[in-house]
Amino acid sequence: MGEKRTDLLRGTLDLLVLKAISLEPLHGVAISRRITQITRGAFQVSFGSLFPSLHRMEERGWVEAEWRSSDNNRRAKYYRLTSTGRAQLKTEERQWNQVVKIMAAAVESS
Amino acid sequence: MSKRIVSLFRNLLRKRAFEQALEDELQSSVEVLTQEKMKEGFSQSAARREALIELGGVEQVKEEVRAARAGRILEDFARDIRFGFRALAKSPGFAAVAILTLALGIAANSTIFSWINSTILNPIPGISHTSDLVTVMRGERSEHPTPPFSYLDYRDLRDNNRSLSGLLGFHHDFMYLTGNGEPARLWGALTSANYFDVLGVRPILGRGFSPEEEQKPGSVVVISYGLWQSHFGADRSVVGKTIAIDLHPYTIIGVTPPGFQGCFTGLRTDLWIPLMLDREVWGSNRPADRGAFWLNVYGRLKPGVSPQQAEGDLNQLMERIAEAYPEAHQGSPNQISLDPLWRSPFGTNVYLYKTLPLLQGLALVLMLLACANVANLLLVRSMGRRREIAIRLAVGAGRGQVVRQLLVESLLLALAGGGIAMLMMTWTAGTLAHFDPATPLPLSLNGRADLRVLLITLGFSLLTALLFGTLPAWRTSSINPVAVIKEEAGSISGGLHKSRLAGGLVVGQISLSLLLLICAGLFIRSLDMERRSDIGFDPNRVVLASYVPLPDHLKFGRDLLAKLESTPGVESATLADFSPLNFTVHTDFIEVGGYVPQPHESMEISLGVVGPKYFSMMKTGLISGRDFTDHDGPGAQLVAIVNQAFVDRFWPGQDALGKRICRSGRWFTVVGVARNAKYRRLIYGPEPVFYLPLFQDDRTPVIVHVRVSGDPRSFQLQVAEAIRAVDAGSPRSSAFGSTSSPVFDVTTLEDSMQLGDIFERFAATFAGSFGFLALALATVGIYGVVAYATRQRTREIAIRMALGAKRGDVLGLVVAQGLRLTLAGLGVGLVASVALTRFLRGQLFGVTSTDPPTFIAVSLILTSVALLASYIPARRAAKVDPIVALRYE
Repeated sequence: MGEKRTDLLRGTLDLLVLKAISLEPLHGVAISRRITQITRGAFQVSFGSLFPSLHRMEERGWVEAEWRSSDNNRRAKYYRLTSTGRAQLKTEERQWNQVVKIMAAAVESS
Repeated sequence: MSKRIVSLFRNLLRKRAFEQALEDELQSSVEVLTQEKMKEGFSQSAARREALIELGGVEQVKEEVRAARAGRILEDFARDIRFGFRALAKSPGFAAVAILTLALGIAANSTIFSWINSTILNPIPGISHTSDLVTVMRGERSEHPTPPFSYLDYRDLRDNNRSLSGLLGFHHDFMYLTGNGEPARLWGALTSANYFDVLGVRPILGRGFSPEEEQKPGSVVVISYGLWQSHFGADRSVVGKTIAIDLHPYTIIGVTPPGFQGCFTGLRTDLWIPLMLDREVWGSNRPADRGAFWLNVYGRLKPGVSPQQAEGDLNQLMERIAEAYPEAHQGSPNQISLDPLWRSPFGTNVYLYKTLPLLQGLALVLMLLACANVANLLLVRSMGRRREIAIRLAVGAGRGQVVRQLLVESLLLALAGGGIAMLMMTWTAGTLAHFDPATPLPLSLNGRADLRVLLITLGFSLLTALLFGTLPAWRTSSINPVAVIKEEAGSISGGLHKSRLAGGLVVGQISLSLLLLICAGLFIRSLDMERRSDIGFDPNRVVLASYVPLPDHLKFGRDLLAKLESTPGVESATLADFSPLNFTVHTDFIEVGGYVPQPHESMEISLGVVGPKYFSMMKTGLISGRDFTDHDGPGAQLVAIVNQAFVDRFWPGQDALGKRICRSGRWFTVVGVARNAKYRRLIYGPEPVFYLPLFQDDRTPVIVHVRVSGDPRSFQLQVAEAIRAVDAGSPRSSAFGSTSSPVFDVTTLEDSMQLGDIFERFAATFAGSFGFLALALATVGIYGVVAYATRQRTREIAIRMALGAKRGDVLGLVVAQGLRLTLAGLGVGLVASVALTRFLRGQLFGVTSTDPPTFIAVSLILTSVALLASYIPARRAAKVDPIVALRYE
C-alpha cells in the first residue's frame, strides 16, 4: 500500500493534502483518490496517515471541516482550505520548489 | 493561537463529542468505500470487507488520529520548554538574577503565609474543623482579657442555650509536676468535662473525660503528646500510672494526639484536669463561686446558626443570669460578644491578626517590585533578541507562537524562582520562633511549610510569571520585523531609552520601593520611640527567678529576701507575682471607694501583688505616700498603692491617700501613689494599676527581683543558689521529694522584657528587611535600565562629543535621565504612601502614619541611591572615545 513511499515522503503528505483540497472541499476518501489521481497513481496514501494529517492540520487552522451530503446523498465530513491553509500551501510549495532545485543542482553537479 | 486553545479544550473537555465525530467520520468513509467497491462489482458484504481492509481497520485509524492530536500538544509544549531552557542557558547571568529576584519575592510571601496558615487559618493545631468554633467574651473586648466567666454562669449558658452544639470552659495556669525525676513547671488547664468532645479531639491512648467527671471527678489527668514524649518516654503503658501535680496524686487516663496543644492559640498546654478539682488542688472554691470569673469559654455553633444569632441567644441568657444574681455581676459589664478564632481575644491571634496581614501586604508589594524588576530585565534582554524574533516572525511564526514561547520562558523562570523559594522557606518558616523571648509562658508560635503553603507558593510563582511575563512578551512580539532588520543596519540608537514601558516600570519600581521603605521606616522609628519611652522603672542589672509558692510562702519569702540582701553584690531584692512587660500581669474586678461607675463601665483593673520595697527596688518613683514594708503582713491593716493613671481615672484632682479599694470583698486603704509604669506592651499608653502587698495575699506565683551591682547574667547562678539554700532549711524540699528544689526561669529583666515589644520587633524586622530588599531591587532596576539605554546611545553620545559636548554634558545627560525617572517614581510613591500608610496607624507608637522625618529621609536615601546607580553608567559613557565608538559602529 505504498507504505515505503509515504515514509520517504512524510514531509510532503501535508503539501499533497493541501493541494488536493485547494480546488474544492473533499471528504477523506475523496482526498485519498485525488492524491492518487494528481500523482498519476504514484502515491496511494494510507488512511492511517491521512486522517491524522487532516486532524493535525485542522488543529493548526489550515483546514476546516464540515458535514454535508456527498454525491450519493450520504453524509460525509468535507475538508476545506482556510486562508492560513492557503498561505501555508504557498509556503510549502515554495519550499518544495527550493528543495527540488537545490537537490537537482546537487545531483547534477557531481 | 485561539484555534489551538479551542482544540485543546475540545480534546480535554469534549472528549466524548470528539470521539463521536471521529467515529461518524470513519463510518461514513467506510460506506463511501463500500459503495465504490460495490460499483466495482463486489457483493455488499464482500465490498464492506474490502472497504475495511483498505481503510486499515477503524480502531487502528482512530488510534493514529488520537496519537497525532495528543502528540501535537505534548510535542509543542515539550518543544517550547526545550527552547525555553536553551534560550535561558544562553544568558545564564540574566537567568540567575531573574530567578533569585523572583525567589526572594516569592519566599517573602510564602514565609508570611506559612505564619498566617499556622496561626490565623489554623488557630488550633491538630484540629481541622475550627470554622464554627467561637470564643465567648463577656464585657469589653480587650487584647488581654481576664477569663470572663464563673463556672456557674458558664454552666447556665451551656445548659440553656439553643444555638450551640457545645460550650466548653477552661482555666489555665502553671502546674508543677513532681515525683517524676526533676520537678517540672508545666502549663496546665482545668477544663469542663466536655472539653475534648467539643473540640473533637480523640485521645490516642486511653480516654478523655466522661460527663460524670464534671461534678465528681476522680483525680484524673489527660497529658499532651509532647509531655508523654518528653517526660514519660512515650511509654504506651502510661495510662493508669499515677503522677504528682502540685503535690497531689493524679491518675493518667489519656494522651492527646500529636499536634494538639490546647485551644489557646500560640500557647502550649501540657495537661488537662477536670475543673472541679480546683477545690482540691488550689484550695480555692472557684467552681462554687458565681462571682469568681476564671473560665475562658469556647462554643461550637450548631449547623446553620450564625454567630449573630448565637450572640443574641447568649445575651438573653446572660441578662437573666445577671438579674437573678445581681451581687455577683456588679462592676462587670455583662454584654457577650462572640469572635471567630482567627481574631479571638484569647491567645496570640488578637495581635497577629493585625500584624500578619499587614506584613503579607508588604510582602506582596515586594513581589510586585520583584516582578517589575524581572519585567524590565526581560525588556532589556528582548532588545538583544529583536533580530532573532524579527527573523522568526519574518519566516512565518505567528505572533501567538512567539508570545507563547516567551511566556514559557517566563514560566520556567518563575517556577525555578518558586523552587528556590521553597528551599528558602524550609528555613524562614521557622524564624518566627526566633522572636520567642525568654518567657515563662509556653509560647508556641511558628510557621510550618505544609501542603497548603506549598500550593500557595506554586500559586505565587504562576502569578509572578503572569505579572512579569505578559507585557514584555506582548511588546517584544509586536515589533515590525522589517523595521528591526533595517534599524540594525545603522540606526543612531536602539530604542529602549524611548520605551515608555521600560521607563514606566522603573517609575513603578521606585514608587513601590519608596512605599516599602517608608513602611519599614515607620515601623523602625515607632519601635525606637517605644524603647525610648518612659517605662517607669529601671530594667538594668535585675535578675529574675521564679519558685513554687507553698502555704508557708510568707516565711520563705522573708528568709529569701534577707538571704539575698546579705549577699555581696546585691543592691536590693523584692518579690512580685508578675514581672514587667512579660504578659504576666493580672487584672481583677474592683470597687473604688467614692467612685460611681458609669453603666457598663468595666472595673477590671491591672493588679500587681508585690513585696516590700518594690517601688524603691524597681526605681519606680512614689509621688506621695510610702512604699510597702515588711510590716504590711497578714495581721496589719490592709493597704494598697495605686499609680497616677489610677488616680487620674477614679479620683481626679483629689488626694488618693486614705481612700479605699475593694477587691474580693476586702477593703484596702491607699497608702501611696506611684508613677506610671508599663507592664504589658511598650506600645500601650499608661493604664491604671493598683498594687497589693504580697504578704497580705493568698498563695500566688512568685518572681524574685534582685538588683545587683554588676552584670546580672553573672549573678543568675547565685540567685538560684540562694533560693535553694533557703529552701533546704524549709519543709518544702521534702514535699518535693527532691534534693534540688524547683527554681524556674532564672533570667534578667532586660531579657524577659523582650516580650513587651515582640510584635513590634517582629513587624519592624520583616518590614525592615523587605525595605532593604526593595532598595536593592530598585537600585538594580535603575542601574540596569540606565546602563542599557546608555550603551544603546553610545553612537549618539560619541557624535555629541565629536561635535564638542564636554564630559560634564554627557554625565548630566545620562544622570538626568535617571533622575527624571527617580523623581517621577518618588512622586507616585509619596502619594501612594500617604494613602496606604494609614493602615499602619494602629501598629505605630509615637509617630504618625505620615511622619515627615521618615518620608523625607527615605526619599533622600532613595534619590541618592538612584543618582549613584545612574552615575556609574554615566561615567562610563563620558569616558567613550568618540573615534573608537563611531568606528566600531
